[in-house]
Amino acid sequence: MILLVLLMAVGVAVFLRLAAGYPATSTSFAVLAPREAAFLDAAGETFFPPDDTLPVSGGHADLPGYADRYLVALPGRQRTLVRALFALFEHFTLVSPARGRGGFRRFSSLSPEQRFEVLRGWESSGFYVRRMAFTALKAVLILGYVGHPQSLNALGLSPWKIESPRVEADFLYPPIGEGRDRVPVRPPGEPSPARRPPLVPGFDQESP
Amino acid sequence: MSEMESDPGEIRVFADYDGDFNEEADVVVVGSGPAGSVVTYELAQAGHRVILVEEGPPFTPQEFRADGNISMARTMREAGLRTATGTFMPILQAICLGGGSLINSAMCVRPPPFVFDQWSTLFDLERTTRADLDPHFDAVSEFLGIAPTPEDVQGRRNLLFRDGCEALGIPCEPVDRNVQGCRGSGECYTGCRARAKQSMDISYIPEAMKLGARVLTSLQVQRVLGGGSRVRGVEGKVAEPFTGRTSHSFRIRARTVVLAAGCMATPVLLQRSGDLANASGQVGRNLQFHPGSAVAGVFPEDLNPIFGATQSYQSLAFLEEGFKLETMWSAPAALAVRVPGLGAELVRRFSEIPRTAIWDAIASTHRSLGSVKARFRSMNPVIRWNLHPQDLEIMLRSIHVLAQIFFAAGAEKVMPGVGGLPDEMHSLEEAEALRDHPIRPGSLVTASSHVFCTTRMHGDPAQGVVDEVGRCHGFDNLYIADTGIFPRCPSVNPMLTVMALAHRQAQSLSERI
Repeated sequence: MILLVLLMAVGVAVFLRLAAGYPATSTSFAVLAPREAAFLDAAGETFFPPDDTLPVSGGHADLPGYADRYLVALPGRQRTLVRALFALFEHFTLVSPARGRGGFRRFSSLSPEQRFEVLRGWESSGFYVRRMAFTALKAVLILGYVGHPQSLNALGLSPWKIESPRVEADFLYPPIGEGRDRVPVRPPGEPSPARRPPLVPGFDQESP
Repeated sequence: MSEMESDPGEIRVFADYDGDFNEEADVVVVGSGPAGSVVTYELAQAGHRVILVEEGPPFTPQEFRADGNISMARTMREAGLRTATGTFMPILQAICLGGGSLINSAMCVRPPPFVFDQWSTLFDLERTTRADLDPHFDAVSEFLGIAPTPEDVQGRRNLLFRDGCEALGIPCEPVDRNVQGCRGSGECYTGCRARAKQSMDISYIPEAMKLGARVLTSLQVQRVLGGGSRVRGVEGKVAEPFTGRTSHSFRIRARTVVLAAGCMATPVLLQRSGDLANASGQVGRNLQFHPGSAVAGVFPEDLNPIFGATQSYQSLAFLEEGFKLETMWSAPAALAVRVPGLGAELVRRFSEIPRTAIWDAIASTHRSLGSVKARFRSMNPVIRWNLHPQDLEIMLRSIHVLAQIFFAAGAEKVMPGVGGLPDEMHSLEEAEALRDHPIRPGSLVTASSHVFCTTRMHGDPAQGVVDEVGRCHGFDNLYIADTGIFPRCPSVNPMLTVMALAHRQAQSLSERI
């Protein structure tokens, strides 16, 4: 009986730690859970605080939305790995608490200063695997943050506007997910395209 | 199973498969990367009935994604998250029609004669000198229109590399690439929307289809059929694009099987086929890479780095020392991962990206060996590899040379990316710290897409998997045509070499069929 009560208590504690108390998100995500969205918002604010350099901060770059799109693009095993990475950072304070009061709390519940110190600890860890995990998280967040249209525009690095010339192969392959009956048909009278497209000078950048 | 003979010159995609099926051909080629595409084209031209099988889908420009993460998730095996253990290293390998050629930077480099001299001497390959292979290099180069990158699409970040090298007296040159009409959009890694890169899906494969080759995509080959000294074909499952979920079964009977699935997938396929062609015990062993290290340099002026060919200047001056230097570019957000720091410091550094050039070194780490084994209930590999201390020193030396070139070109600071050293170095004197830094494998952030030697060529059947024309020792009709057959890492970007070897192989094979 005592064992059962203990197990139930542990179960409740684990639930409270892992899932309870996260705010509901205003956006509906395809796969991202509210706890992951909370972590990503907190990590984004810590990695990319408001600064004059770029027009958006990490807290306003919709990093949860970006991560959701990324997770959707991943097959099952890799999706699980990336989600495990988020969970690792969110809960590692149980193993290595942040300094100061409430250091055992989840990453997303720490103060901004504590979050910064926690991430700095990962970045400068003597353990290679911890540094690699930090790099992996940083990569996901940076791709979402610097890749944000407003960031790219501010840096003068928006993608080129390119109208792809049609080559022979464009009349061979259907769009992914469609069958052969969706292979584009060359319009009557359109000359057979050269296999080597001509050099077309001049570029336009997409507007923000 | 139903007999679903496809028509000559036809392509099938995932949506076309509605049940189990059989096919038949003279030759089945597994893998549509550079080598598999060359073999397919050459054999089709010789009049053979060829089926080219590819696990990934064909991509058109509308399918390309500029975001680095999402692009990798769609075009790379294990969504771009494949890694080696031992020495941790990301390994980038394509899964799409055209293989790596769809998402590489189109660098076509002939290895210098000393590479083939080593191959010939150390691995009993008497007919694999540079002179032996030059006609095959020429044939592939002519077909693809390979030429040096023109000056007008180099862009400032590439030309600064030239300036730095020239200031130091280091020989350098514009890179030869399989590109026609480059616009300098720097998008090679996420797919060339300008349709300038002559990747296999828009060059060799369409030409092979005109000659009657059949192309079956979204098929995962899981087993080579046969045994003794002959194989009879391959079998496997239909695989959904991106998720990899398998469904219907297929079997392709063929008089000859060519495995061109890549240096990781081919050994796994042989292991999954009852340890086929492994009398030597070398299948999956001898794994080698060209690990790459990137160094960032910040210049006083805006470089407009978004303009310029992806990788278009290089120096081959240090090949015999063990490394090659080159310029590089990628999606800006992906390159930003290279920026050190956290918080406000990190964000401020982002403002320097328009003034930043990234140059890299690939190292010929032939002392660093590993292995590939089939993962439990999967066609993906378990990859073990350890970086040898001597190779690590070569990589550090290459970073030091890059730092010197940056400062010679006028950079105001360099970010070497070496653990245990400052994030930024502001002078040649500070960069001297790279010379004697006590380095460990974990000190460098590396990645590689150049993978070799897991089914190596060797004149001695007891020491290698294939002979000089890629035929498996002990087999009449089983061939391997991918970078796994390299006996040693080739010191330069491998695409042109594997295509030249495939060209020679196709000629030999055609005579035997």
